[in-house]
Amino acid sequence: MRKFFSNQRLVIIVVILVVCFGLMGGSVVLRNKRATPPLIQQFGNDIVGFASTIVALPANGLQSGFNSISELTNTYQENRQLKQQVTGLAQVKVRNQTLTTENKQLKKELKLNHSLTDYSTVTAAVMTRTPSSWQNQLIIDKGETSGVSKNMAVMSGSGLIGRISEVNKTNSKVELLSDSNEASNRFAIQITNKSGKTVNGIISGYQKSTGLLTMGDVTSKVSLKKGDKVITSGMGGVTPKGLYVGKVAKVSEDDYGLAKKIYITPATSFNDINIVTVAELDS
Amino acid sequence: MYRLSKLRFVFPIGLFITFFLDGSFSKIFSGVFFSYPYSMVSHLVLLWLALGYFFQNDVHIPLTGFAVATGICFDLYYSGILGLYMVLFPLIVWLTRVIGQYFTPSFLTAFMVFFIDVAVFEFLNYAAYSVIGIASASFSSFVLYTLAPTLALNLIYFVVLYYPLYLLYSRYNEEARS
Repeated sequence: MRKFFSNQRLVIIVVILVVCFGLMGGSVVLRNKRATPPLIQQFGNDIVGFASTIVALPANGLQSGFNSISELTNTYQENRQLKQQVTGLAQVKVRNQTLTTENKQLKKELKLNHSLTDYSTVTAAVMTRTPSSWQNQLIIDKGETSGVSKNMAVMSGSGLIGRISEVNKTNSKVELLSDSNEASNRFAIQITNKSGKTVNGIISGYQKSTGLLTMGDVTSKVSLKKGDKVITSGMGGVTPKGLYVGKVAKVSEDDYGLAKKIYITPATSFNDINIVTVAELDS
Repeated sequence: MYRLSKLRFVFPIGLFITFFLDGSFSKIFSGVFFSYPYSMVSHLVLLWLALGYFFQNDVHIPLTGFAVATGICFDLYYSGILGLYMVLFPLIVWLTRVIGQYFTPSFLTAFMVFFIDVAVFEFLNYAAYSVIGIASASFSSFVLYTLAPTLALNLIYFVVLYYPLYLLYSRYNEEARS
C-alpha cells in the first residue's frame, strides 16, 4: 500500500512538472508568434488589471504626492533656468510650425501621403511593474481598444524606453530596453554627426554595468563624436522615424578590431517611469 | 472552522492587497529595487501565505487553493508567461507546512522558515527561467546580486510586519473562540 502511494505521488509530480514546463514553453512561443494572447488570457488580464487599480491608484497617488513635495524644494532654481530656455524655445516653435506646413505642402505636391515621420501617439499611465529580477516589464493602462498593438515603440520623458510586448483589451505590457530578452531592444537607429553624415544600424544590446546601449558591427568610415544625437531610423516599417534614443557616449573598436562599437547614453532613465507615450505609425 | 471564522474575509483581502502591492512597490521604488547591479524582488504574497500558516492556529485556512489562484493571476498579469508561479506558490505553502510542523511557532522559527521559503522560491524561479531562456545570469551573480538583496528586503518586511499581523490574527482568532 505504501509503495503504491509513493508511486502515485511520483507520477503526480512528474505530470505537474511536464504541464508546468509545457505551459511555459508554449506561452513563450505564442508570445513571439501571435499579435495578441489567447482570448482567455486576455480576459483574465483585463479582470486582474481592473482589480489592480484599487491598490495601484492610491499607491501611485501617494508617490506623486511625495514627488511633488520633494520637487518643491528646488523649484526656484529650476524656474530661473527654464525661463532662459523658454525665450529661445518660442523662436524654435515658430520655425518648426512654418517648416511643418511647408513640409505638408511639399508632400502634397509629390502626392506622398504618409512618410516614416508621420505617427500618432497614445498616452498611457504606468500601473505597475513586474516584481521580478529577470523581466523588466511595465504594465500600462491602455490596450487594444485605445489602438495599441504589439511591437509599437514606447517613449517616456524625452526618449525611447522600449516596445509593447503583449496587448490585452484594456492594458498592455511594455518590455524595457534594459530587459535581458534579446528581442526587446533591437531597434533600427541612425546617428547623425556634426557635418550631417549619417550612420545606420541597430541597437545590439544593453550594458547593465554602465547603463549604456550598444550598437555593434558598424563598418562605416563616418567619424562620430561624443554627444552626436541618436534617433530611430524607421527601417523595418513598425517604428516611426525620428524618435530620440540618446547621445553617443563613446566609440570603440569591437572585440575583433574589425568594426566599431558605439555606446549610447539613453535619453531617459529606465527606472522611475510614470507616464509613457506609445507611438503608432500612420498608414 | 475556516467557514465560521472572520479570517475567511480577512485572509483573501490581505492576499489581494499584498498581491498588488508587490507590483506597486516595484514600480514606486524601482530606483532603489533595481539599481545596478542589485535587484530586489518584493515577495509580500509569500510573506502573507507563510504567516497565514503560522498564525492560523486551529482555523485551517485553505492555503493551497489560494496559492494556486494567486499564482495564476501572477502568471497572467505580471509575467505573461504561464506555468511557473501557479506551481511555485503552492510548492512554497507545502514547504512551509513540511518544515513548520517540526517547530513550535515563534518569531525565530517563522523567520527561519520564511528565509528558506524565499531562498527556494528565488532559486526555482531562476532555474526555470534559465531553462526557458529568459534569465541569462550566471549562478554566482544570481546569488550575489539577486538572491542576497531579495532575502534582505523580504526579511526586513518580515521583521516589520510580523508583530502587526500577529495582533491582527490573534484578534480574529479570539473572536472565533468567544
